[in-house]
Amino acid sequence: MGMTNCFAILGLSESLILDPGDIEASWQAATREEHPDSSHGTDEHRAAALNEARATLSVPVNRLGHWLQLKLGEFEPDRSIDPELMDLFASIHSALEAADSVISRHQKSTTALTKALLTKEAVNVQLAIQEQMAGIHSFKQSIINSFPELEKAGESGDFEGAKRNLGQLKFLTKWEQQCQSRLLPLLDC
Amino acid sequence: MNEKLIIGIDLGTTNSLVGVVDSGFPIILADSDGERLTPSVVTYRGNGLIATGREAVRLQQLEPERTVSSVKRFIGRPYDHLSTEEIESSDYTVQPGPSGGIRIAFDEDHSVSPVEVSSEILDHLKRVAEAALGHEVSRAVVTVPAYFSNSQRETTKAAAEAVGLTVERILNEPTAAALAYGLDKLDDEQTVAVYDLGGGTFDLSILQMKEGLFEVISTAGDTQLGGDDLDLAIATAIQERLGIDNLSTSESSRLRAAAREAKEALSSANTHTIRLPFFRDTESFELELSQHEVEALMQPVVDRTRSICQRAFAEAENKGASSITHLILVGGSTRIPLVRRCIEEWFEITPNLSQHPDEAVALGAAIQAGILCGRVREVLLVDVTPLSLGIETFGGLMNVIIPRNSTIPAKAGELFTNAVANQESMAIRVLQGEREMARDNWLLGEIDVPFTPGQKGSARVGVQFAIDQNGILEVLSRNTATGEDHVLEIRNSAIDVDDTSVERMVSESIDHAFDDMNERIWTEAHMKSEELLPAVDSALELVGDKLPDDEIDSIREAAARVKTLLESDVRDAIALKQANHALDEATQTLAALLVEAAFE
Repeated sequence: MGMTNCFAILGLSESLILDPGDIEASWQAATREEHPDSSHGTDEHRAAALNEARATLSVPVNRLGHWLQLKLGEFEPDRSIDPELMDLFASIHSALEAADSVISRHQKSTTALTKALLTKEAVNVQLAIQEQMAGIHSFKQSIINSFPELEKAGESGDFEGAKRNLGQLKFLTKWEQQCQSRLLPLLDC
Repeated sequence: MNEKLIIGIDLGTTNSLVGVVDSGFPIILADSDGERLTPSVVTYRGNGLIATGREAVRLQQLEPERTVSSVKRFIGRPYDHLSTEEIESSDYTVQPGPSGGIRIAFDEDHSVSPVEVSSEILDHLKRVAEAALGHEVSRAVVTVPAYFSNSQRETTKAAAEAVGLTVERILNEPTAAALAYGLDKLDDEQTVAVYDLGGGTFDLSILQMKEGLFEVISTAGDTQLGGDDLDLAIATAIQERLGIDNLSTSESSRLRAAAREAKEALSSANTHTIRLPFFRDTESFELELSQHEVEALMQPVVDRTRSICQRAFAEAENKGASSITHLILVGGSTRIPLVRRCIEEWFEITPNLSQHPDEAVALGAAIQAGILCGRVREVLLVDVTPLSLGIETFGGLMNVIIPRNSTIPAKAGELFTNAVANQESMAIRVLQGEREMARDNWLLGEIDVPFTPGQKGSARVGVQFAIDQNGILEVLSRNTATGEDHVLEIRNSAIDVDDTSVERMVSESIDHAFDDMNERIWTEAHMKSEELLPAVDSALELVGDKLPDDEIDSIREAAARVKTLLESDVRDAIALKQANHALDEATQTLAALLVEAAFE
């Protein structure tokens, strides 16, 4: 499916450092102009391309991946895990297991009494998950803060750092989603 | 006459409406009696005639088994997704279709599908519009709950097309309501949440409105949660208070109607007397209910909307939406004071009541119809897909391809390659839902990705998953060698129904229906007992000291009754179910104590 350039689709410069407001403004202007429902609109393909471009660029991990793809063509992200990330994973993993256990017992419960028996455990697990999410968030933020350096290295042809950071961001994003997906069921407990 | 005109239809669980834009303003069209609401009820009469709307409601008491209401709860769903409660709580007989769909059976040789029932309602609305406008109509925008899945949308579309209506757009109900709210506020910049609690479905959608661009940021919902559940909760309680068992179909229909009447009356009054003259033979019943009592019965149902709202709020926040300026209420069930109070308490926002709970969605559908036929300009609506779309990967996991709350139209590609030499094709299961395991999600169907014969890994086929503006999926494959695209068929057995085999299946299964049901109730009740009994012991151990002795005694007594029935040789499913229920009731205070203790 040919290489699309999301930056070009939205008329933005091909940079890792983008202001979310600028992405929104470009998408809105283009959508008003070209959406198939508007009086001078084009077809659904164009609207879908605009939506895809926004979804890619507005999320840092996707933006980094797309940027690398444009620079390098097909490539494999560096999936090595440094020790710090490994430690984080271990603690996330046990928090997730605890969460799944209480959620599944809660879902199997059909009475107020059996559900109530699980409340205390659910409250504790929820706090643990929130703590893990804070850890993930600050890890992600430190990588995002290094985007200017990655871009600079890229200018001189060095993409190793970007590839490593992409791998890490992908892991962090996945774990973040896993934590997120447990939070609401836990609130129900 | 007017081939360009598009009508807007709100196909509701309880009531349906039709509207158009006239001189720039959306209006609801009235029928020959001057009524704007058409009850979503169809009676397939014993004499072969079909009655729709108010006429069907009049016939409901006479022919309850032949009168279909709230059919929207069943449309586009496979039979095995239904719970026992859902099957039991209908006055009409709900049965499995030949390939996993749902059939509504009236007698041994007459049954219909939920799509056919919906078609009757849509046909009625089309005629209302044609009579009011004085010319034929052939194009429509039809609304559905935002949380409707792909197959629920497809079947709704098929229902309209069956009666000669081209569906120009399947529109989400809360989004439609937002259009109705925002049409006269195009200069404002707002972030609004629409809380839409109807007869059978609940949605919450969050939108940003800016200079005529209505953009949905996030949506969440439950397609099996609404006013019907409130009626059922009240009806069950009334039945218990009156101490009547083994309701006949017409009795349960009357009871549900009485419950609904009480719910509606108690939205403004403090007390209401339920009167059921000659309810069973010559026996009449009378019962006074207070608003307070009924609210306690409704509370658990209303509580279910809370975490759904939280999910939508959380996602909107993740996507960087600014805080909500207005929370708009629509749907008949938002008339209930309890609902309004809960929202205010939970989210610390005063609900906006500017929209007519029954008409806002239809007005919005009319506006969207107006946008599409050029009668409304300066307004543009952009929506999202409610559920994540993915495919099943090795190990039975769901691999998300288009995440929920993606702006539609949306597309995403995946590249597939042959795993062995000369593999002809690869079957891929397409799923919708949020669970990690593929089997926990909604199976949309299977596609076959064709490969050109060759070495392992030599065939490369790009598959594009596209969700159009109706929220409906299309799958295209592209042969990377030739660059050729073609549409892949999504095989879904639950949607296509072969009618001849249906009739036979239905008459076969009607004979076994009773046995099956008793068995199903017993299995469920048995599981519930096994769950409750040990829980009673541990709970009493933990917080029993905080309960008065007589309450502990009554809990023990209720538990003993469950134990006796469980161990008895006679499998009395109904009695066990009732005993479980009694134990459940007896332990309410105990449960509340446990929750309290958890937060200490």
